[in-house]
Amino acid sequence: MSAPAGGARTLVVVPALNEAESLPPTLARLRAGAPGFDVLVVDDGSRDGTADVARAHGVAVVSHPFNLGVGAALQTGFRYATRRGYDIVVQVDADGQHDPRDVARLVETVASGRCDVAIGSRYVAVTAYRAPAARRLGMVLFSGIVRLLTRQRIADTTSGYRAYGHDVIATCQYDFPRDFPDAPLLIALARSGFRLLEVPVEMGERRAGRSFYTLGKSLYYPYKNLLASLMAWLQRPRGGRT
Amino acid sequence: MYLTRPQLIVSLLAVALALSVLELVRRRKLSEEFSLLWLVSSAGIAALGLSPAVLRSVSRALDIKYESSTVFAAGIGFAVLLLLYLSVRLSRLSYENQQLARELALLRRELEESRGGGTAGAA
Repeated sequence: MSAPAGGARTLVVVPALNEAESLPPTLARLRAGAPGFDVLVVDDGSRDGTADVARAHGVAVVSHPFNLGVGAALQTGFRYATRRGYDIVVQVDADGQHDPRDVARLVETVASGRCDVAIGSRYVAVTAYRAPAARRLGMVLFSGIVRLLTRQRIADTTSGYRAYGHDVIATCQYDFPRDFPDAPLLIALARSGFRLLEVPVEMGERRAGRSFYTLGKSLYYPYKNLLASLMAWLQRPRGGRT
Repeated sequence: MYLTRPQLIVSLLAVALALSVLELVRRRKLSEEFSLLWLVSSAGIAALGLSPAVLRSVSRALDIKYESSTVFAAGIGFAVLLLLYLSVRLSRLSYENQQLARELALLRRELEESRGGGTAGAA
């Protein structure tokens, strides 16, 4: 499980907001579980020295001057990857809930040409993860919306464990959801002709730090994603497969 | 024909608003683009406030019994449109701000690398 197949250059992007505590174990596990991949930590305006912690671990760091949102952090990773000639970007959460041993499988799924976006999902196969009730309801709702609008079955629309192919990265350069890159993004990508595929992965609970999804956001989230999903379906698709 | 007290107040406010807008433009605190919106809205309010004939015909057309209500309705209408326009501008500004912040972050990374301070994370 080292370098990816087919000579595709892969960048692992870790969006991080105030994750100084959980980042070291996550990076250590990445190095052990997914060796041979370049890693970029996108520090989204953290105030706890997240960037310094990441630099101390010898990975590349790009620091936003202030908080822009998790989607914006991912987009910065895309821009970085494009400018440096990477073909595939793998998004991994900084909180350590993703098992790095699945990185190679996600990359392989995209590199082999089976899909343009591989989504590491907790729901495709039985795993140890069990989400809170409100969250489960939301997941069923947005999974249904994605299925209705794209005719693709994506059980885990909020999964932050994904691999994106070259054309997706290029398309997402300039138009990308700034806060929650979930259901609306998947709908927009499907509308642009990209093929999405869910890959079963193991997920645990977060190890330290706070989730991106706070109370205020948990009220705003359904509104924003319902509206954005509808708009993604109505808007003219941008970019697409080449 | 004489101005009722509300009409007089509205007219004076409209004139004061127009003068403030022009003064802000003179001091370069307000761009010409935005000043146009404000001048148009104050002119609209002034027209309704100063000309009872216009006010009466508009009120009658809209079936509004109290003519001063027409003035305030027009003012609120302008304000809502202006706020909507400002929200659009704010959305664009926030998008541009995000792009600038991203470019800054990426350039800072390149600067660190070219100074040799960059770490060996990426080839």
